[in-house]
Amino acid sequence: MSKLFNEDVIEEITRNGDQWQQNAGHAGKANDREFRTLSGIPVEPVYTPEHTADMDYLRDLGFPGEPPFVRGVHPTMYRERTWTMRQLAGYGPPEETNKRYKLLLSEGATGINGIFDYPTLRGYDSTDPLARADCGRGGVAIDTLEDMRILFDGIPLEEVSSSLVTCQPICNITVQSMYFANARNRGVPLDKLTGTSQNDFLMETCMATAPGVLPPKASFKLSCDAIEYCTKHVPRWNPISFAGYNYRESGCTADQEVAFVIANAIACSEEMVRRGLDVDSFAPRLSFFMNGQSDFFEEIAKYRAARRVWYRVMKERFKAKDPRSLAFRFHVQTAGVALTAQQPLNNIARSAYHALSAALGGAQSVHIDGYDEALCIPTELSSITALRCNQILQLETRVTNTVDPLGGSYFVEALTGKLEEKILMLLEEMDGLGGIVKATETGWIHGKIADAAYEYQNDIETGKMPVVGVNCYRMDNEVLPIELFEVPETAKVQEKRLKRIKKERSDSEVQRALDAISRCCDEDGNLMEVIVESVQSLVTEGEITEILKDKYGVWNPPLF
Amino acid sequence: MVGERKKRILIAKPGLDGHDRGAKVVARALRNAGMEVIYAGLHQTPLQIVNTAVDEDVEAIGLSILSGAHKTIFPKVMALLKQKGISDILVFGGGTIPKKDWGKLKSMGVGEIFPPGSDTRKIAAYLYKVLEEKN
Repeated sequence: MSKLFNEDVIEEITRNGDQWQQNAGHAGKANDREFRTLSGIPVEPVYTPEHTADMDYLRDLGFPGEPPFVRGVHPTMYRERTWTMRQLAGYGPPEETNKRYKLLLSEGATGINGIFDYPTLRGYDSTDPLARADCGRGGVAIDTLEDMRILFDGIPLEEVSSSLVTCQPICNITVQSMYFANARNRGVPLDKLTGTSQNDFLMETCMATAPGVLPPKASFKLSCDAIEYCTKHVPRWNPISFAGYNYRESGCTADQEVAFVIANAIACSEEMVRRGLDVDSFAPRLSFFMNGQSDFFEEIAKYRAARRVWYRVMKERFKAKDPRSLAFRFHVQTAGVALTAQQPLNNIARSAYHALSAALGGAQSVHIDGYDEALCIPTELSSITALRCNQILQLETRVTNTVDPLGGSYFVEALTGKLEEKILMLLEEMDGLGGIVKATETGWIHGKIADAAYEYQNDIETGKMPVVGVNCYRMDNEVLPIELFEVPETAKVQEKRLKRIKKERSDSEVQRALDAISRCCDEDGNLMEVIVESVQSLVTEGEITEILKDKYGVWNPPLF
Repeated sequence: MVGERKKRILIAKPGLDGHDRGAKVVARALRNAGMEVIYAGLHQTPLQIVNTAVDEDVEAIGLSILSGAHKTIFPKVMALLKQKGISDILVFGGGTIPKKDWGKLKSMGVGEIFPPGSDTRKIAAYLYKVLEEKN
């Protein structure tokens, strides 16, 4: 036992605290304001050892890089290696995004963070009638392996770690395969590649309520195929990044964000074990993508609580032994939903706080949103400003001097414990529902997220949650002080290229590739094994999607 | 208001973009404001939207667009309505639609545009006002 205070001391502090509260009179009721975190946890006027009386230092906190990893996943954290600065980028045809990647890298970004356009994320070709209006929007358009070649042209794949924001497994299974196939074509062995793909089935079935998507089970299977493939062939790749960021952007609370990513990771781990893999062969590569929202301390506590819960889950449920399996590693993107279209330069201040909480929470990599996030995709200026904001945080503030600087703060430790409690309750509830795939099929998760999103909006509209420039300090005749980004012409460029490719490629090779995918679905094989080969024939993403939807059927998620 | 038919509104998200938080929150807010809301979800083509609007006999269509595709989608919806000879359905919008594009959209007959940060009560009030005036 290594409790920090003995019972007598706690008793004395409690007595004095009660007295203080009487003397101070306000006891948290200075006015009619409710003191709660953004996720609704009540906050005391002051925290003392009384609130962390049950904390056992070695059991509950430990040392950085050691169980339960609450203080950080690496022993020396940022003293040795600072977080990766990974600015999200993607728009238009691949040649345009390639330029933005190179710009960000030359300006000091330490990794690529590539987002794909809406048609690519949903598995459609640029030429699909449903795709045309959204071509090149929200990300870069990818139809075939040729697009992937252009996208990474001149970027050293063996040196730069690439995060592929493929979001939905239906996209990931093909686009990630293209990335690997492109690396092989360039002579880079797969075991030299480092990076991450998003590949989260909730992105397909829950975060965006589109009809006619793959059913949860099928989407989950594709996601697991990629994990299995990478475990066997691309050992330094993180084959999944559980997209807590997007769950939160869709509306959920901090505790739900963590509970949902961990429940998702539990389901994936169970499936991998069922497929015969040892937990320590894949768990070190499960990674998490979290949201940096506005409640500064709650976010820090959230990251710390996530590490403690993950450690216990992996140790107790899965009997993992490799310390890397037990450590919750995560990327943070600052909250887009907290940014405003009004007075957009204010967003620079907001995002800086979001990023600071990520740094104090021990993030492995951080993307800072552009100040124009609520208006358009980032311009060159907003993109570079966001990168500079990350660099200022890393180089000028000296928050990297020591590990987990807020560890031991009575408030942060109490809040970490509270969040842990709430996360564990949610995990138990989801276990009772039969796990996250079932909880998705029944619409339970959809309901939770919709409720929380509505409440958040209500809090803004009733003024309970002040948002500067929106429900207070408005400037009614505001002239937009920034330039907006215009997406370059994409549909025509992609159409032209696709036409040429379809003319030049060998129809019989394409047919063979499609047949192989089809057969693999029937035999319940690992689809990534097959698709990595298939894409060499320049089969398109849309052609692959068609087979998958034909074989697995489509699903209409519940609408709220 | 007793006995009066509830206002029927279609909320749809055209295109393949997945940012549906706003559309869902607005749908619920309008429902809570006493309207009957048909939420069509994502991935709707302009034709599907117009057909649903006719089938469901709605008085207004709210289009949520956060992809930047508003300049393509609004004109298509407006043209389809015109083609079908429908002039009594109000089309309004929300999402990341820059102010500089509002004039053009309004000149083709689109109603109010509600940018990020809009108050849902204002959206409801707007609909009640405009739809009352039309009747």
